[in-house]
Order: sequence, then structure tokens, then C-alpha cells
Amino acid sequence: MKIKNIIFSALVILGLSSFSGIANAGCGKLVIAEQNWASAELMANVDKVILEKGYGCEVELIPGSTMPTFTSMNDKGQPDMNPEQWANAVYTPLLKAVDEGKLFQANKEPITGLGEGWWITPGTLKKYPQIKGMTALEILEHPEWFPDKEDPSKGAFVGCPAGWGCQLANANLFVAFEMEKKGWKLIDPGSAAGLDGTISKASDSGKPWFGYYWNPTSMVGKYGLIPVDFGVKFAGRDNWDNCIMKPAGECASPKKTAWTKSEVNSIITKGFVDKGGKDVVKYVEKRTYPGEIMNGMLVYMADNQAKGSDAAIEFLKKHEAVWGKWVSSAAKKKIKAGL
Amino acid sequence: MELFTKFPVMERSALAELRKSIDFAFRDFSRAYGDGIEAFFDPLLFFLVRLEKLLINSPWPIIIIIICGLAWIGSRNWKLVIGAAVSFFLIGYFGMWKDCMATVAIITVCVIICMTVGIPVGVLMARSDRTERTILPVLDMMQTIPSFVYLIPILMLLGIGKVPGLIAICIYAVPPIIRLTNLGIREVDKETIEASEAFGATKIQKLRTVQIPLALPTVFAGVNQTIMMALAMVVIASMIGVKGLGVPILRAVLNQYLALGLFNGLAIVALAIIFDRVAQEYGRRIQKHRGLKR
Repeated sequence: MKIKNIIFSALVILGLSSFSGIANAGCGKLVIAEQNWASAELMANVDKVILEKGYGCEVELIPGSTMPTFTSMNDKGQPDMNPEQWANAVYTPLLKAVDEGKLFQANKEPITGLGEGWWITPGTLKKYPQIKGMTALEILEHPEWFPDKEDPSKGAFVGCPAGWGCQLANANLFVAFEMEKKGWKLIDPGSAAGLDGTISKASDSGKPWFGYYWNPTSMVGKYGLIPVDFGVKFAGRDNWDNCIMKPAGECASPKKTAWTKSEVNSIITKGFVDKGGKDVVKYVEKRTYPGEIMNGMLVYMADNQAKGSDAAIEFLKKHEAVWGKWVSSAAKKKIKAGL
Repeated sequence: MELFTKFPVMERSALAELRKSIDFAFRDFSRAYGDGIEAFFDPLLFFLVRLEKLLINSPWPIIIIIICGLAWIGSRNWKLVIGAAVSFFLIGYFGMWKDCMATVAIITVCVIICMTVGIPVGVLMARSDRTERTILPVLDMMQTIPSFVYLIPILMLLGIGKVPGLIAICIYAVPPIIRLTNLGIREVDKETIEASEAFGATKIQKLRTVQIPLALPTVFAGVNQTIMMALAMVVIASMIGVKGLGVPILRAVLNQYLALGLFNGLAIVALAIIFDRVAQEYGRRIQKHRGLKR
């Protein structure tokens, strides 16, 4: 009896430990970059909770931002993953690293509806319902809808703060779309706070607003900014890279173009694949946040001045329908239990 | 024991609520009164826009001649006049004319406002110790609170542009003129005042003919300080959409354009020195003229 018992319990223990070994098989310690803006913070923290609770990984978050994180991943193979890598900034070296098999673009669209461009506020639509469905080309014929405070005879187009890359792009597009001739004025808001200020001021007072912004951001979510179609196609990389993005003197004849597509990837290293295993990689591949849900989360973070870790819990509690599709049903159960 | 090792912190959610309620209260306030306040400043905006347009659109030789003329009227000093002409010519030559004119416009208006507000407040402070006691902490706050802090409510209330920029500059630049007017009047010789009282001067007469003339050198020092501080705020004002020399400096800071930043920074320095020297000379000259050397 006793011996039987001992053998039995030994078997059970062996079985259990080997079972848990299987569960954790391939998932070791992963380092994920937590970049210094809201959506990246949220994504890193959601990945941490899901991988730890659902897949038994051990996840460490380290601070980062676009260029340093990419350089470190490319040269040193650390951190193992960057959930929100803005790829345009590192286009050439990234493709090279992918070719060499060092890095993988595990997810080419971690957030939908993302990008830069021209937007209007909902207040604009309310005042001028005919704007609905209009392209930028058509809106540009009506500078009188957006009178400038300092010179009401002109239409105000709010561009990018001085010194930002997008300032050059907007200034050149201003020329390309012949906006000066049409009676527009390019407003320099001076800083990010100034740009946000013009939007919140216009939204609060119901005045029309037309200008540059980008997504995903809490501003887009909070004020329901509406993207404006440019009405022209993207006129090619050559026009964009060698003219639109250059200082005014170096771009003599910019062509009308839509804004370049912003490529955002979840980048993982070879080490991530080795340590994380197939299931974890599959999770990263499936993990796509719908744009409006991401904006809702960013509004939540801004309104509550919440950290990424708090927002991750909020996201996992509120939007099970979204993340439930990213993970296996077994992992889902474990994550829910762990919250 | 825990009381001593752990600081009693307000509960996190309550703190967040407090912050939110302040934010929302101000937002409601700006929604309700923002348009009205904006309309109140419309004449000022009109004046500013006109002045800037005038300065930018007039032919440059005329502007330089006018500036030299003003420098001559102010200082009666040939060296200063030539210095002003050369620096403005160099500023234009290095492609900063338009920005420089925008800055001159806003600084001029700003200094006029600071003087019309600051000198009367300084006089009031000098007349009553109680007023001085209440206003001094306010001045301390205006000078030390980081300007970004009051940029937020100004942005929410008035948006971006010249008027909010002007207000931000004035908040920072008005304290020295108030302080020094107050100081100047308080420092006037007691016996001189007694003498004027003995001749039966009324309070207004005393102020107009004795106190202010005697305080003028100190008041002028205050005007100088105000000009300097207003010019120092040009960069911060450009962060809320004020055109001028601050804009290229911001661009230079964000992109590490050393030369661009240096040129525009030096242009601000040149403006400051010209304004300052002319005002100082003027102050000295009217003292000589009145024969009231101290």
C-alpha cells in the first residue's frame, strides 16, 4: 500500500511538473519595449499581462522610444519586442534586418485606422453639413468657412508646430494645393500644446476647425475628429521623400498628394521567437486593436491621467470581445482568472 | 509608527477627482465666457495686427530711418543711432527682417501696456502699506511661476495667437515696473515732501510735481527691466502661435540648428540692447533737463 502510494504520488508529482513544463515550454523571459507615448504604453502593458497570465512567460518592460529601441533591437537583439514600431523612420535598416532574419515584422497592422493627415472637428460638420463626404480638394475651395481670427478674410489651416517634420510636409502641401491663392493662411500653432489648444478651443465653442493631426491619439478620440480624404492619390515616394519632406527651398514644385501611409509594425527579434514559442508569436500576429477602441482607451488614459499598467487592466476588463479573439480559449480562461 | 514613516497622502482617487473637477470647472468657465473675453480683447488684436502689418509692409529704409530718428530723439547720442542702424541692417541682411518686425510690434505694444498698468499700480502700492502687502505676493508669484503653467489656462480661454501671447508676456514682464515705481516713490526724500506739504500741495500735486519726477530714474530702471523680460519671453510666446524671432529659435532647438538659433538669438539681444540704451539715455537726459540730479 505504502509503496503504491509513494509511487503514485511520485508519478503525480512527476506528471504535474512535466505538465507545467509543457505549459511553459518555450516561454522564458521576454523583454518588451514600453515606448514613451500613451498608445505604446498601453500595448506594452497589455502584452505583459496577456503573456504572463495566459502563456506563463516572464515579462519585463523597459522604457524606449522609436530610434533608440530600434537600434538596440537591431544591434543587440534586446528588447525582444517593440509592440508599436513606427517603421517609416527606420525603413531601410528594418528591411535589411528582416532580410537577414534578425528581426520579424510579426504584425504589420497592430492598430487600424492609424496615420497622419488632415482632419475637421464635428463642430465644422454641424455648422456646414454640406462638408460631409467632401474631399480636401473641395473643402479648399471654401476658405470662408474657417475664418482666421487675425485676418478674417482668409481661411485658417492649422499646420504643424515649428521644428516638427510634419511642418515641412504641411508647408509644401500648402504650396502644392495652391492654398495661398485660394485664400488660405497656414497657422503655426507653435507647440503640441498649442495645436491641441486650437482643437479643444474650437470644439468647445463649436467653431469650425481644419488642420493637421494624427491617429491614434486621445484628441481624435475625445473630440471625434473626422479624417478628410485628400481627393488625390499618393503621388509616389519620390515626390514625398525628395520634395514634400524637404525644407521649402529644396522643394521647388511639390505635387498634390495624399499623406504618406504610416507603417506601424510589431517588431520581434529572433530571440523572441526562440524563447516565446509558436503560440506567443501567433498571439502577436493576431493582436490588432481597432482604431476606435484604441482611441477610447487613450481618452480614458488622458481623462484619468492613468498609467499604462492601469489602462491595460481597464482594457482587459472592458474589451474582452476584442482581446478574446487574439488568444487561445485556454489562455483566455487563465487571463480572465488572473485579472 | 506608520504615521511617521509614511507621509499622509490624499487618497489617489480623491486626488484625481480634485484635479479633474478643477480642470472641468475651468473648462466650463472658458466655454461660458471665452467668447466674451475674446471679444473684449478684439480692439487690442486689431491694433496689434495693424501695427505688425504696417511695420512689415513699409519699405525697410523708412523703418530704419524712423528707428534711428526715435533713437536720436531718445538718446541724442550718435553712437547709439549708428549702432541701431547697423544692427537693424544686419538683421535684415541675414533674412530676419519680417520676424524681427513682428517681434518689435508685439514688444512695443507689450511695453506700452505694462507701463499703463504698472506705473499706476506702483503708485497705489507706494501710497498704502496695506496695498503693498497684498500686491507683493502676487508679484512674486507672477515672476516665479513657470510660464508654461499659465500658458495652459490662457490657451483654453483664448486659444493661440497674438493676444494670448501678449498676455503671457505681460504677466511675466509687468512686475519689475510695478516694484520699481513703488520703490522709487517710497525713496523720495522725506524733507522734500515735507517742504511741498508746507507749501500746501495737495496729494495729486505732490505726486505729480514732486514724487514722480524724483522717482523717475528708478521708474526708468523698471521700464528697462520690463523690456528685457518681455524680450526674454519671445520664445515662449511663440509656443502659442506668436510670430516673430521666437519661431525660428523653437525650430532650431528642436532640430539642433546651431547657426539658426544663434542668429535669431543675437537678433533678440540686439533689440534688447537698443531698446535698453535708448530708454536709459532718455531717462538720464530728462533728469538733466529738469536739473534734478540726485
